[in-house]
Amino acid sequence: MTDLMLFQLVGVFLFCVGIFGLVWRKTLVGMLIALELMINGAGLSIVAAAQLTAGDAVKGQLAALFVMGLAAAEATLILAIVLVVVKRFKSSKTDGIFNMRW
Amino acid sequence: MEILAKIAFSFYCLIIFTGSVMAVTSRSLVRALVGLIAVMIAVAGMYLLLAAPFIAFMQILIYIGGVSVLIFFAIMLSRAEGDEAGPVSFGRAVNALVSLLVPAVILSVIIIYHPVAALDAPLNVSPALLGKRMLGAYLLPFELISVVLFAAMAGAVLAAWRKRGQP
Repeated sequence: MTDLMLFQLVGVFLFCVGIFGLVWRKTLVGMLIALELMINGAGLSIVAAAQLTAGDAVKGQLAALFVMGLAAAEATLILAIVLVVVKRFKSSKTDGIFNMRW
Repeated sequence: MEILAKIAFSFYCLIIFTGSVMAVTSRSLVRALVGLIAVMIAVAGMYLLLAAPFIAFMQILIYIGGVSVLIFFAIMLSRAEGDEAGPVSFGRAVNALVSLLVPAVILSVIIIYHPVAALDAPLNVSPALLGKRMLGAYLLPFELISVVLFAAMAGAVLAAWRKRGQP
């Protein structure tokens, strides 16, 4: 088993636990936490592939940096969306959110 | 890997395992956030093992310094603490387990049975090289990411804005 394989398996573990949490959680904030786990797994996989294969290492590290920037932007937007949902529905539980508009 | 690197790797694996299980199953969202932060720190350690110190520091700066604070604000402002209590319905548990197992099996089989030609030691890339490439060939994505961040921040302010007189 090569080093690359070990790092990739850790990345897959994080990604799958993230998907599990995304389905398991009852609130939007819990889903956000699970989503961050998935993004971390993806980033680890990208950097491992960049550093441990013959491909372009700089390109891979830059891709990981872009993923981090997009994750920050996405977390900001999700915070705003959670605030709006809580204002309208008085709760961030996902079961009660059905109406798109009224 | 050298023996010390193996020890460090197993230590980070342990933190990642416990932290991610805590982040996903904890009844309290603040505890889940603590688990997430532990996972992020361990992933930063894995980046150091991969000889990518710049990415590791960015991970600590952006995720632990920025994103986790945002999530904490989300927990605080949505008053979601306690909403996670109570049993999870059977159907939801089955769905969650299936969505855990299907990608896990498919991806692990691909990784284990179709190995890629890998190097023994990670490549060493200096941050100066990263900066040169970022201002050279990848200037456009680098600028676009700042536009995306600005648009996200402006959109967040706009979405969460309360007009005067509104409750």
